[in-house]
Amino acid sequence: MKNKAFNPFEMAQAQFDKVADILGLDQGTRELLRQPMREYHFSIPVRMDDGTVRIFRGFRVQHNDARGPNKGGIRFHPQETIDTVRALAMWMTWKCSVVDIPLGGGKGGVICDPHNLSQREQEQICRGWVRQVARDVGHVRDVPAPDVMTSGQHMLWMLDEFEAIHGGHYPGFITGKPVGLGGSLGRTEATGYGLVFTVREALRELGIDPKNTTASVQGFGNVAQYAIQLYTRLGGKVACVSCWDQADQTSYTFRKKDGVDLEVLRSITDRFGGIDKKKAKDLGYEVLPGDVWIEQEVDILMPNAIEHQITGENVERIHKRVKLIAEGANGPTTPEADAVIQKRGIFIVPDFLANAGGVTCSYFEQVQCNMNYFWEKDEVLGKLDVKMTSAYQAVSEVARKQKLYMRDAAYVVSVSRVAQACRERGWV
Amino acid sequence: MDLRHDPIHKILEALQERAKELNCLYQVDERLTRLDAPPEEVFRGLLDVIPSGYQFPAVCRARIAWEDAVYAAPGFQETPWVQSAPILADGRAAGKVEVFYVQPMPRADEGPFLREERKLIDTIAERLSHHMMQRRLKSSLKEWEIAVKGVPTDRPQSWWVIIEFLRYTDRDLLVRLSRKMLNHLCWNGIEEAQHLLQGFEPEGESRPSTLEDNRPVAKRTLQDFLSHTDEIFRIASEHLSEDEIVSRIQKWIKDDKSAFLLETLENPGRTVADLSDAIQRYRLVGIEEQEMTRPLSTALRVALVRRFFTDDLDFINTAKNFVEIRDFYDLSQRIISPPNSHGKLGGKSSGLFLAEQIVRKSSEYADVLRDIRVPKTWYVTSDGLLDFIQFNELEDVYNRKYLEIDQIRREYPHIVQVFKNSHFSPEIVKGLSMALDDFEERPLIVRSSSLLEDRMGAAFSGKYKSLFLANQGSKQERLAALQDAIAEVYASIFGPDPLEYRAERGMLDLHEEMGIMIQEVVGTRVGRYFLPAFSGVALSNNEFRWSPRIRREDGLLRLVPGLGTRAVDRLVDDYPVLIAPGQPGLRVNVSPDEVVRYSPKMIDLINLETRAFESVEARAFLRECGREFPMFGETTSIVDGNAIRRPLPFQVDLDRDQVVFTFEGLASATPFVMRMRSLLNLLRGKLGVPVDLEFAHDGKDLYLLQCRPQSFAADSISAAIPADLPRDRVLFTANRFVSNGRVPDITHVVYVDPRAYRDVSEPSELKEIGRCVGKLNKLLPKRQFVLMGPGRWGSRGDIKLGVSVTYSDINNTAVLIEIARKAGNYVPDLSFGTHFFQDLVEASIRYLPLYPDEEENVFNEAFLTGSPSILPKLLPEYERLSDAVRVIDVPRATDGLVLKVYLDADHDRAVGVIGTPTVLSEGAPGRSREPEAAHESHWRWRLRMAERIASQLDPARFGVKGLYVFGSTKNATAGPSSDIDLLVHFEGNEERRRALDAWFEGWSLCLSEINFLRTGYKAEGLLDLHYISDEDVTGQTSYAAKIGAVTDAARPLRMKGRGL
Repeated sequence: MKNKAFNPFEMAQAQFDKVADILGLDQGTRELLRQPMREYHFSIPVRMDDGTVRIFRGFRVQHNDARGPNKGGIRFHPQETIDTVRALAMWMTWKCSVVDIPLGGGKGGVICDPHNLSQREQEQICRGWVRQVARDVGHVRDVPAPDVMTSGQHMLWMLDEFEAIHGGHYPGFITGKPVGLGGSLGRTEATGYGLVFTVREALRELGIDPKNTTASVQGFGNVAQYAIQLYTRLGGKVACVSCWDQADQTSYTFRKKDGVDLEVLRSITDRFGGIDKKKAKDLGYEVLPGDVWIEQEVDILMPNAIEHQITGENVERIHKRVKLIAEGANGPTTPEADAVIQKRGIFIVPDFLANAGGVTCSYFEQVQCNMNYFWEKDEVLGKLDVKMTSAYQAVSEVARKQKLYMRDAAYVVSVSRVAQACRERGWV
Repeated sequence: MDLRHDPIHKILEALQERAKELNCLYQVDERLTRLDAPPEEVFRGLLDVIPSGYQFPAVCRARIAWEDAVYAAPGFQETPWVQSAPILADGRAAGKVEVFYVQPMPRADEGPFLREERKLIDTIAERLSHHMMQRRLKSSLKEWEIAVKGVPTDRPQSWWVIIEFLRYTDRDLLVRLSRKMLNHLCWNGIEEAQHLLQGFEPEGESRPSTLEDNRPVAKRTLQDFLSHTDEIFRIASEHLSEDEIVSRIQKWIKDDKSAFLLETLENPGRTVADLSDAIQRYRLVGIEEQEMTRPLSTALRVALVRRFFTDDLDFINTAKNFVEIRDFYDLSQRIISPPNSHGKLGGKSSGLFLAEQIVRKSSEYADVLRDIRVPKTWYVTSDGLLDFIQFNELEDVYNRKYLEIDQIRREYPHIVQVFKNSHFSPEIVKGLSMALDDFEERPLIVRSSSLLEDRMGAAFSGKYKSLFLANQGSKQERLAALQDAIAEVYASIFGPDPLEYRAERGMLDLHEEMGIMIQEVVGTRVGRYFLPAFSGVALSNNEFRWSPRIRREDGLLRLVPGLGTRAVDRLVDDYPVLIAPGQPGLRVNVSPDEVVRYSPKMIDLINLETRAFESVEARAFLRECGREFPMFGETTSIVDGNAIRRPLPFQVDLDRDQVVFTFEGLASATPFVMRMRSLLNLLRGKLGVPVDLEFAHDGKDLYLLQCRPQSFAADSISAAIPADLPRDRVLFTANRFVSNGRVPDITHVVYVDPRAYRDVSEPSELKEIGRCVGKLNKLLPKRQFVLMGPGRWGSRGDIKLGVSVTYSDINNTAVLIEIARKAGNYVPDLSFGTHFFQDLVEASIRYLPLYPDEEENVFNEAFLTGSPSILPKLLPEYERLSDAVRVIDVPRATDGLVLKVYLDADHDRAVGVIGTPTVLSEGAPGRSREPEAAHESHWRWRLRMAERIASQLDPARFGVKGLYVFGSTKNATAGPSSDIDLLVHFEGNEERRRALDAWFEGWSLCLSEINFLRTGYKAEGLLDLHYISDEDVTGQTSYAAKIGAVTDAARPLRMKGRGL
């Protein structure tokens, strides 16, 4: 039987090939960058709570470290496959490169389902993982972070094991730690603020004063709330917000044409970013179907919820006034919709640039750890502004000069930086 | 005479009399102290003093009779104006005191005698009895001393002294002891004793023949026993040790003293108040249960349990091993009963009482369970309800249960008001008042404790009310509120839901009596609120396992902060924290996101200021009074970015930090989970059935609030899998991780073919499949379809391993089925619905994993892949997915049959079988046989009616091209007052339109009336019609946009003589 199974790694390679073609990369560079540089596959024996021993499969993939130590999350997932990890490691390389932070790409994981594991067993997996690769990771080699089903707690167990093995304190070994134990301030704000820094730069490029703009925001989670906060501070007006309603199992759009008030909305929002319909109505908000956020007469759309929100089906509903789409979520636009957007000439800040504030802040966490000196929040956010602004400018310059679509330009910038580093190191 | 002087005069007179009486009594006592004087002298002395205590001493004469002698003043003559009181000896009248007036005197309370004089003569008689007894004792002691000296040397044992003593003091007791000893000896097979026993039988007849004879055996008098006492005890002394004889005699004497209690309990004429008195008397007698013989103590225990709790044999059998007589001391003091009550305390009270005794008395787990408490409880006996009805002359209410359900429903609100405006009898009011004095101003819960629960299970008991009372304010206010609450709980017996439920199960004719439990609410004051730190439900069997590592017997805890109402009920928009006590480390929610999303959002509590039960947002509550909240550190966690940690009290900033209830500290740093596990194990072991407990913790102690068999819980009833199912009717079977339940009448199967799914190579197409399922979920009838698909539904990782959906894409399904097909050599792990596990639990959506490649399982792939799929018709835009997604209209594919899924966790078996529908949708609007949750029935009924209207609508006659239902009826959210939204695709002239309007109006008014009878909600008409034209349909304008809409599409209805 033919196996046409979807392979995420092949997909990532195909995406790379497209960019390599634009860049005209040579064969050697292509081959180097198409594959991870190193992979570790290992077994983690764990004594379970009931006394039996189970062996878990662990991975670490280091895709490319030409620009600096590898950086990437550790996933706990029951159907983890090495190809998924490879693809994600490659994407990390591009992501770090596009914001121009001196880190390479990596990813790791363990095949396990934390739902079937007690805390103690998970701790043993974390420590076992570190024991297997302790010599091949670290603040100057490879820096793990939380990912699917791993949290700050897992990072602390891993850090503790790493420091026990190496006999010293190396908080820069891992990121995603709680504040006070090597974590960085400003992490909560980082992605939302980062998004609006790029929006600000894009508007500047389009010659539009943010004070004269209105935006429609999809989602009301962490990213969206901080994005709204900063955007409003810049003088912009958010005309509507759409969010998920847990009780009704559907989403609603909350519109206030003269601009929503973030603090008011926050006060009637549950922990999951669900706004109380009734209270909103009483406060003078229109409560509309969830999907109308896309058809609002605004200048900016910020899809900050989940993937595949702007699709072939609804892309035509985007109002003609819209000039800018800033992708706060991962992959909110499907390829069909992307083609339409490109054709209509709507300016786009692509996801892996727009939401790179998070990874940038992780980098800051590591920097602070390495010098064992922690900045105030303002300093973190100030440096974030600098990073995001220059990252945006680099991409938009390429787009302008090379006449590339922003999404392609972002890839071109990031891949070329990595290729350049490999070349200068004399690898290819 | 001046009126004001009259009462004073009377009082003075009364006081004078009183002084006379006291003086008289004093003199009587003085004479009675002379024990050494001969009795005659004493009696004569009394004859002189007694008249002085009477109102008219001059014409008053006394007479005393004792045994055979009569003493009276010289010249005494009997008259008809007499008052008399018996002098007792050994409980029998051995004489009497009499007082006569020699001439007629004015009429008073008892003939010419005053009430006080009755007391006086009784007192004198009593003192005389006492005096005579002392006299006898004194003489017998003397005789005994002589007897002891004369005891022959062959009887050295000290217990002879007892026998001798009894011989002089209490012959009846001695006879009883002799008989018991003789029986005891016979049972021990001592021949000599058997001979002796035969000696008591009529002469010339040997024992066996008498036993088989129908003729009554001639009886010997007791006196015969007395004459044989010596012989009996001689035989005893030869065969039994001294210790044994002494301990026997001791126990028998104790038994004898306790016999009154058994007599009271076994006498059906005695009332609850009599029982309480007897128990208190027993308590004062001071006999420990260990001091009496086992048979008597068992008989007493059984009798107590039967009188107060239940005749149920299983219950009694268990209870008699744990319940002691002393356990009733306090209980019997807290029972409120009407006069002449023969009521019981009801199912809920029984369950809790027994559980409490088991926990107290078992040696297993004693160290961890020792401190578990039960809240202070008062009880109103089950016949309190009858008393209430009689007192208020509400007898009519009994007949109401035989009315039609619609009439019952219509009258119910009235009944509630009538009950609440009625009064309780003075005895009950007095009892409630005492209860309130005992409770002081602690908040209370008034719960029903029905006798029918024993038979019908808790699915039923849930239909009666439980009411919380803040119990604040003046005594009068509190008493009024308590009476009001009890009346309301009483009224709930006559509510339509329980009556309908009883009617359906043939239990209507049983007389419902309902006890009431008035229980103090466990908790503490926190700010202006009163609440426990946390409460919850504990179940022996875990019917919702979220990991294959959790076994069914690992149990389940549902924990919430505050009052337990939110843990007991299923709430779609809030979540209790779930813990399997057998696997406390395996949590449903792992990532910080999940933990936050599925943490309790609301707290139920009692607001002491508004004096009401309220639900308060957890976040607001913590901000307001988190500092005072007991066990803050154990019950909450702080969310800090992507880390969740247990709070250190001083580090918490309640205004800034995100605090959620996780019970993490409770689970990982206290023995709580282990205690609950021990408790579940203990009660399950002793009661022999899985149990369902309710508990609460006030920050200091853990309280048990309820204990009942788990099989009572609606979720836990396993469906008996029909035997001998024809193999060709079986769609699938499962044999692992099966929960309990039964899902009848499934009309649609959405089948995502595992093989076809695996062969899809485009990730975008895989996502499309998820979206397609989401749309089907909105389109298909709620809870009447099942989703079957490969691997893990809702997989967030590799999409190949399961259809990518969120909870909202599957929330209308009845069952979520994951199919684990072998791929090469391995069978993939299933998700157990982990991605939305708690949503499934709260919405009662069943989860079932299938392993079709295991030999013993049936998996009818041919039906799933071979039956026609209606997907292209339903969602033409997804026709290209036809290989992977199939939608089978079961009735259409099987000629009107439906899919039924039976889940039997007890045997870990489940089966999906094609069979005849339970409810015939074409039939008359009859009642469905399955009990539906109240909120479910509204939309089901509306949908059925909409289908019925369509089936009667002649499209040709009225020019109707299509009829659709949408809105709350279609979305299964309709409430009792909802409209039925119909979309009419109409293309006809004015005349037809008028005819159609008239036709619909008839239906509308008719349905409105039926709805009123069903629900009590009034409306002008029930149908809300929306007409659309051809242009609307082509232009997708107006409501026509609803037809074939991507989300929330209107559902087409089959019209008369037409297809869909």
